[in-house]
Amino acid sequence: MRLAATSTLALAAVLVAARGDASPNFERDVRPILKTHCFPCHGEGDEKPKGGLDLRLRRLIVAAQTDDGPVLVPGKPDQSRLVENIRSGKMPKGEKKLSPAEIASIESWVAAGAPTLRPEPEQLVQGEITPEERAFWAFQPIHPAPPPAGTDPNPIDRFIAAEQSAHGLAFAPEAGRAALVRRVTFDLTGLPPTPADVAGFVADLAPDAYERLVDRLLASPAYGERWGRHWLDVAGYADSNGYTEADSVRPHAWHYRDYVVRSFNQDKPWDRFVREQLAGDELAATAHGRTGVIVTNDFVRENLVATGFLRMVPDGTADGPPDQNLARNEVMAATLKTVGSSLLGLTVGCAQCHDHRYDPILHADYTRLRAVFEPAIDWKSWRPPGERLYSLYTPGQRAEAERVEADARKVDGEADKLQQELLDAAFEKELAKLPEEIRGTTRVARNTAPEKRTEEQKQLFKKYPSADTRFALDLFDPEGNKKVLAKRAEATRVRGTRPAEDFLMALTEVPGQVPETHRFQRGDHDQPKETIGPGELSVLAPAGTTNLARWASVGTHLPSTGRRLAYARWLTGGSHPLVPRVLANRFWMLHFGRGLVNTPGDFGRLGERPTHPALLDWLADDFVAHGWHLKRLHRLMLTSRAYRQSSSNEASTRDDPENRWVARFRMRRLDAEAVRDGWLAVAGDLNPAWGGPAVPVALEPSGRVVAGTQKRDGNGDPAGVDSLGADAFRRSVYVQVRRRWPLTVLETFDGPALNPNCEIRASTTVAPQSLLLMNDDFATGEARALAGRLQREWPGRVASQLRTAWTRVYGTPPGDRDLAGCLDFYNRQAERFRGAKPTVPDPPLQALSGVCQALMSSNRFLYLD
Amino acid sequence: MGLGGLALAWLLREEGLLAAPVRPELQPLHFDLSPKPTHHAPKARAMISLLMIGGPSQIDLFDPKPGMAKWDGQPFPEEIHYDNAAEASSKVLASPWKFHRRGQCGMELSELLPHLGTIADDLCLIRSMRTGVNNHGQSMYALNTGRITAGRPALGSWLGYGLGSESRDLPAYIAMASPHGAPLLAGDCWTSGWLPGIYQGTLARPTDPRILNLDPPAHLRGAPQQAQLDYLARLNSEHLAEHPGELDLDARIRSYELAARMQTAAKEAFDISGESDATRELYGIERDETRDYGRRCLIARRLVERGVRFVQVLNQGQSWDHHGSIVSALPSSCRAVDQPSAALVKDLKSRGLLDSTVVHWGGEMGRLPVLQNDRGRDKCGRDHNTHGFSMWVAGGGLKAGHVHGATDDWGHKAVKDVVMHHDWHATLLHLFGLDHERLTYRRNGAELSLTDNQGAKIVPGLIA
Repeated sequence: MRLAATSTLALAAVLVAARGDASPNFERDVRPILKTHCFPCHGEGDEKPKGGLDLRLRRLIVAAQTDDGPVLVPGKPDQSRLVENIRSGKMPKGEKKLSPAEIASIESWVAAGAPTLRPEPEQLVQGEITPEERAFWAFQPIHPAPPPAGTDPNPIDRFIAAEQSAHGLAFAPEAGRAALVRRVTFDLTGLPPTPADVAGFVADLAPDAYERLVDRLLASPAYGERWGRHWLDVAGYADSNGYTEADSVRPHAWHYRDYVVRSFNQDKPWDRFVREQLAGDELAATAHGRTGVIVTNDFVRENLVATGFLRMVPDGTADGPPDQNLARNEVMAATLKTVGSSLLGLTVGCAQCHDHRYDPILHADYTRLRAVFEPAIDWKSWRPPGERLYSLYTPGQRAEAERVEADARKVDGEADKLQQELLDAAFEKELAKLPEEIRGTTRVARNTAPEKRTEEQKQLFKKYPSADTRFALDLFDPEGNKKVLAKRAEATRVRGTRPAEDFLMALTEVPGQVPETHRFQRGDHDQPKETIGPGELSVLAPAGTTNLARWASVGTHLPSTGRRLAYARWLTGGSHPLVPRVLANRFWMLHFGRGLVNTPGDFGRLGERPTHPALLDWLADDFVAHGWHLKRLHRLMLTSRAYRQSSSNEASTRDDPENRWVARFRMRRLDAEAVRDGWLAVAGDLNPAWGGPAVPVALEPSGRVVAGTQKRDGNGDPAGVDSLGADAFRRSVYVQVRRRWPLTVLETFDGPALNPNCEIRASTTVAPQSLLLMNDDFATGEARALAGRLQREWPGRVASQLRTAWTRVYGTPPGDRDLAGCLDFYNRQAERFRGAKPTVPDPPLQALSGVCQALMSSNRFLYLD
Repeated sequence: MGLGGLALAWLLREEGLLAAPVRPELQPLHFDLSPKPTHHAPKARAMISLLMIGGPSQIDLFDPKPGMAKWDGQPFPEEIHYDNAAEASSKVLASPWKFHRRGQCGMELSELLPHLGTIADDLCLIRSMRTGVNNHGQSMYALNTGRITAGRPALGSWLGYGLGSESRDLPAYIAMASPHGAPLLAGDCWTSGWLPGIYQGTLARPTDPRILNLDPPAHLRGAPQQAQLDYLARLNSEHLAEHPGELDLDARIRSYELAARMQTAAKEAFDISGESDATRELYGIERDETRDYGRRCLIARRLVERGVRFVQVLNQGQSWDHHGSIVSALPSSCRAVDQPSAALVKDLKSRGLLDSTVVHWGGEMGRLPVLQNDRGRDKCGRDHNTHGFSMWVAGGGLKAGHVHGATDDWGHKAVKDVVMHHDWHATLLHLFGLDHERLTYRRNGAELSLTDNQGAKIVPGLIA
């Protein structure tokens, strides 16, 4: 930490000095331009530089000649081909030319004598990272500045206020209490507050009422279901393998989902949470074939299930992919993309084939990262998904299962024996029908396997087909066949008494199996180049070595390489520049609707820069310094004035529609799960059952994907849906995530697109959403469910039904005008239904359903303010 | 302030990214899809984009290079840039397919696209396209949103923003998904980016029903549902009054209005059962190979006929990315789309719609003149070529029976009359009566446009 800080300061000093004399230099002003536009042909890559011109060092440029003269004459731009070629547009060769500003930078540098900041290296190392690249903000150590001065007690607000005043904005007043309780309840639990919750909070005038509300919500099991879902987006959670059209189901993935939900509810420290997910197997010192009896060892089980994080990407290797080796390597590529975007906030995938074009991530760096995971994701010794499951049998259950299987096999044997006896008897009967002289040859022929029969024997059975009594006992001896079938059914029944076997999906290594990792030329696994060991990206590696000293310090006692554990420890050790920032930024984004870095998966040059860098660092540091506890960070953010302010601030809406300066609470639509779960909750249908196997989804003939059991036709194609009863009303986090068949309600409202994971959700406003809320069985069904409940609660009392409907949906009771409007609509609609042809059954129920549906479809319900 | 914090803030300021705040001018906080006046008289009023993401091989389809035959299998004699894909080789791969002169204009087209040849006289074939970027994703962003980075509005959203809609009953912008899966970039193909949400593309499902939930429950059909929607509109407008300037709330109110009208209109528009046998045959709907694409092309025509501004017909992933087995894979890709694409142009023409409808057919890059994956004739393919590719466009005021631009002797690099993606966009907007430098949207204090200060130039050579 200290070392890194010093080097940053030294670097800053270098840059300040350079800027101080105002003269241009190669490293800062020229090289970044050349790297983006020119290095691909003139310096980087496996091929020789084009035209023999390497632009990576000033001295190489000065030494180079072209047919038309020297490339660079210091002090003489007009005699330098470099300048001439970029001015004329001859270079770069593509259509993407340098901008006038870029050309000017190079010109003025040449004119100034083409100076460098410091002596250039003797040897050019392939993929060198310059101090200037290292100086990019995201790679700097996290160093929190104290919050600015101010009267706000919450430091967050002082950071925010400082930027606001610089932008001519100020906080909006605090939101109304009803809006606030609805906002924070949906935010933390994904569910609406009950009317009692709202009334209770509105009436609670104690100074700490809001803090207690936040604490209560954080303690609710629904919190983990909500925030766990956020992490499942980033992890790319799916209950199916994707990749091929088959999209085979992962029946055991839910253990990981439950682990995530549980971890959030337990407020598991994130350093541990991340370590478990990246290297739980190594934390538990297990490996493939050495997991032991998982079910009786909580520590091993919890750690193994955590590695499900690394099993979430599409994996089509068991589904007959067109190119098996490619499919395997794509599992690795997707895994690195998930790790990169979720934890590093970098698009490491862009370095899969060559050095990253924008960020200082080398092709070799990508390979280093690959080597961390390769012992577990080894494309040369592949284990398809089915071989990455670990049984949850107890020893007793296993013994019982073996006993049952032995019993069943015994019954199978009896059935086989009986069947043969009966077939033999049938044969004798058939034989008796044949002419005496051919019976002997027929007997021989029958006892010869069909593929070994001579032509004569085949002809024999063409003539006397009924004599080939080898199968189809039912045709020869129906009664006897029934006895055989009864035996077979008995075997099946016996097998059915086996204890149900459940499995964990986990990532492990095979002891002793340590593949070499090669850099793949152009990312092609068929063109392996040099071997590269595991390590961190060069630009992030501490103390100037990618081969972290820590690699060696784990592993001697482990059955596995320990690479992921070492890597996970480095990531969560507190000095990693990106992991805490990336996490803190994500949490902020989820609360405030916009990240401090609004490209949460890309903190690199193509990503956005932080709007509040000092706040980001302060939050990241605070998170780490206080034990990586997310609930603490939630409290800090949620109790801020920034979070509690009203959504109304005219100046902010007008001047800062995206709310970069956080001068209002930005109104936002409920996300997909909150829409569905919110409808279920206000309708009274929500089934709050916790965890367990996924609620299945099925395809309706209408094209909708709903919660239900799939009926299938003779070809195995979907043919209707069987209802699930109350299971269909469970929270969305428990509904099966089929990559190919996302639940229609969720997909329509921008559920996560998993390719392979989802860093940030879209929030669209399109007509199919409106059509769903108008016409979909889910919407009409839930509206009717609420209406039915209201009628039963307030029989015959329409005004009370309507008042309660409004209160349940919005959390607060209607005003007089609201109620009058409601009643007016109700009356007209009921009247219309009474006079309808054909007759509408139960006009009052239909009218009340219509009111409920309108309320639940309205913006007041769909948006948080 | 800690020294590290100082360094970080300082570094960012050095980048010029913490620049002094800019107070944007006020802009109207109301957006709608009512028809808008154009900058000049338009020639085109609608567009159908047949996206062939992945990089259809120009050398095998559109850009004959007979001189390559004698080099087949020989080392490529010039410098070549392999980009970043696998299995590079320097062996020339002359096109194994024949080209023929088609139509009165004599445009040379590959035997792989026999139906396209029948409309050669309607085509404007551009043989000199470039985006200047290498990767599929970035190049798609360039062609679809004007720049290589994510987050910007798609072309169709710009047209909706600039021109409004000619249909009150259907979305202005409809994307038609492939039954084989999502296209590369998925939702970013039809995103409105930072333009208001009402300009987003609406995704139609790959199979019937193309739009879900068009049928109200029986008892709500007609007046009762309208009454319910009126009540909902009242609730929403009262809510909006409490939150002035919130564009999303406004967009959702409009989306309910549109949805109500779509119930009948979309059903009718997407229903091809009333089309004649001759039309179905024209589009290849009766044959397995062309059924899906034929249906989607026919629906695209029906949508444009009904006033939809922009229709995107999408392929799966980057299915034209023929790195291997090009000998079998390219013909199969062509067979699925050739007849339907040609049928669309013929059908629009026979209905008098081609003059005002731009049809676009193409991907985001081309392929190299050398082979890739040198493991036999049936296995080999072609790597990406970012230096020149072909696409064809037709109708909407574009030249017909015309070939624009050329590549070098190898079909490798565009060398004559190069058309960058932003030049194409500027030209396209011009056809729609819009000036690409004046069609702007103000965001964070900057005027943003589709062509976005990339030096875009209208290409007069494309315009009839």
